[in-house]
Amino acid sequence: MIESMSHGIGVDIAFLLLATLAVVTAWRVFRTDSMVRASFFLLVSFIAVGVIMILLAAEYLGVAMFFMMAVEMTVMALFMVMFMMNPAGLNPMNMVHQERISIGAGVVSFLVLSAMALLAVFPDRPVSAGLDPVRSLGNEMLGDSMLIFESAGLVLLTTMIGVVVLSSHRGRYGAATEGSLPPGLESGGDPAGKPEEDEDGEDGGHHHHHH
Amino acid sequence: MIVEELVLPVLMVFFMLAAGAYTVAVLDRVIAGALGTPQTGSVWIAPLARGAWLMTQHANATEAPDWRAWRLAPALYLSLAAIGLAVVPWSGSLVATDLVTSVVLWGSVEALATVVIFLHGWSANALFALIGGYRYVALGLSYILISMFVLIGVALPAESLQFTQVVASQEELWNVIRQPLGLPLFLIVGLGMTFWGPLNLADSADLAGGTAAEISGPPRLVWDVARAAMLVAFSGVATSAFLGGWLGPWLPGPLWVAIKMLAVLLVLLLLGRLLPRLAPERCVTLMWVILLPLSFIDLVWAGVGALL
Amino acid sequence: MTLATLLLLAAALIGIGIYGALSQQSFVMLMMGLELILNGVMLAAVAFWAFSGAGAPEGQLLTIIVMAVMAIEMTMGFALVVAVFRGKQADTTESLTGLKH
Repeated sequence: MIESMSHGIGVDIAFLLLATLAVVTAWRVFRTDSMVRASFFLLVSFIAVGVIMILLAAEYLGVAMFFMMAVEMTVMALFMVMFMMNPAGLNPMNMVHQERISIGAGVVSFLVLSAMALLAVFPDRPVSAGLDPVRSLGNEMLGDSMLIFESAGLVLLTTMIGVVVLSSHRGRYGAATEGSLPPGLESGGDPAGKPEEDEDGEDGGHHHHHH
Repeated sequence: MIVEELVLPVLMVFFMLAAGAYTVAVLDRVIAGALGTPQTGSVWIAPLARGAWLMTQHANATEAPDWRAWRLAPALYLSLAAIGLAVVPWSGSLVATDLVTSVVLWGSVEALATVVIFLHGWSANALFALIGGYRYVALGLSYILISMFVLIGVALPAESLQFTQVVASQEELWNVIRQPLGLPLFLIVGLGMTFWGPLNLADSADLAGGTAAEISGPPRLVWDVARAAMLVAFSGVATSAFLGGWLGPWLPGPLWVAIKMLAVLLVLLLLGRLLPRLAPERCVTLMWVILLPLSFIDLVWAGVGALL
Repeated sequence: MTLATLLLLAAALIGIGIYGALSQQSFVMLMMGLELILNGVMLAAVAFWAFSGAGAPEGQLLTIIVMAVMAIEMTMGFALVVAVFRGKQADTTESLTGLKH
């Protein structure tokens, strides 16, 4: 495979560095205290993979990776600051469940996949030197695979509409949050984050019961 | 080979970063002086003096910032400006990075700028800085969209995503005439992305400096240089995308690029001084309701033009 | 840079992603795990395209489709997070028990 793909030692060194960067930052995503930092670590991992794609001559995909993921991760960081606890990472954070099973599942899937990578025999048919990857991708997207590509666009549009409906304040029958209450701080307790109600007032019917 | 492919482009980009930032500082002072704002000292020396003064200042600290991100963010913004300068072709062969998707690479520079500016605002662990970062994210998404549509418009007649091809396709007619909406939209995006003049909403005075509220000393110098360099990168991209890059009679190509870039810079800085400031929420409305549909029209215009 | 090393890298990314998606309690961190899995998938697709697909354009198209899937996954995820947060002020998977009984 090495002979067929003509590249210099520089590409190999760059690949090794980028691969290390991608894996280390991917690992740091789940090992950092701050969720904002986590989303930017994920972005670095994506960018490293994008550069590897450019090294593989997929020049459009690699660069597309940069801007797609840049916007996605900004939005992610924004949501982190809005909704999540501890976005600044000032306190240690370890919000995990079933960690042993998860580590096991991660290690097993890595081992199985890498065994496949090392043991399976894949055909050796590298990209021919004369191919223009960007042009061939464009011709494919708006040629033979137009239906697939346009369906993806349609699904994206549907998603946009669905998302607006889901996150809208107004539902069909009034406010989207009507009738819902935050859970108590302890199970079965009074709703959290609400102003203290007058306990001995006559409108005891407003007292909410949680199950 | 390594000299030609690595050393020369890197030197070129570094020279452009330094010379470009200095030019922006001088031009802005000249324009301010011409418009009646009194200037102390010589316009040639004052930027250097301010830079030297910032270098010797101690950098302030806030309570528990994310140190690495806080110190990295100005440097990252500067390197994004460097990537932007690297894709600008100076002639058919003199270009630091002649990637076949350099137009998309510039688009991702704009997208990554959003990340860096948010990071800069967030990592200071200060209220106004965070609000500035949030503001930029809300606005930055619309800047990116407008700029992408406008740039797809210039890629259509070139049938390529490469800036050298885009310039070559303007041999007969510059894109500024072929797609009249493109350049004005792109310049507005440029002011927005470097938060310059009226579109300075991320680092604005009403937020006591926004994302840059808490920085001082050398990081402040890097941040200011990076913003100026990004403005230069913008004028370079605008030159290649709309003003025919190196094309022009009599003079050699690189000189034409320099002249056109200077002209675009002059227009940008003048606009920055003359246009009124917008409130952030009105700016979002302007972007999404007026400028984004205009960029659709520009794209349809470009598409019809490419088909005919 | 051979097909095997690229696939090893993809396997590592997928493995870390599976760990993250299964172990994280916070919705958004869970989504990060999913994104990491798709990151590995895209890398593997491009690697196959470059080394054993003879540059068939469908290989690149697959990556574009995965990117679209990522975008859809993220927007839907965030919309659900917003809806759940409005209703229950919850941001962890444990607090969603509505479908359990």
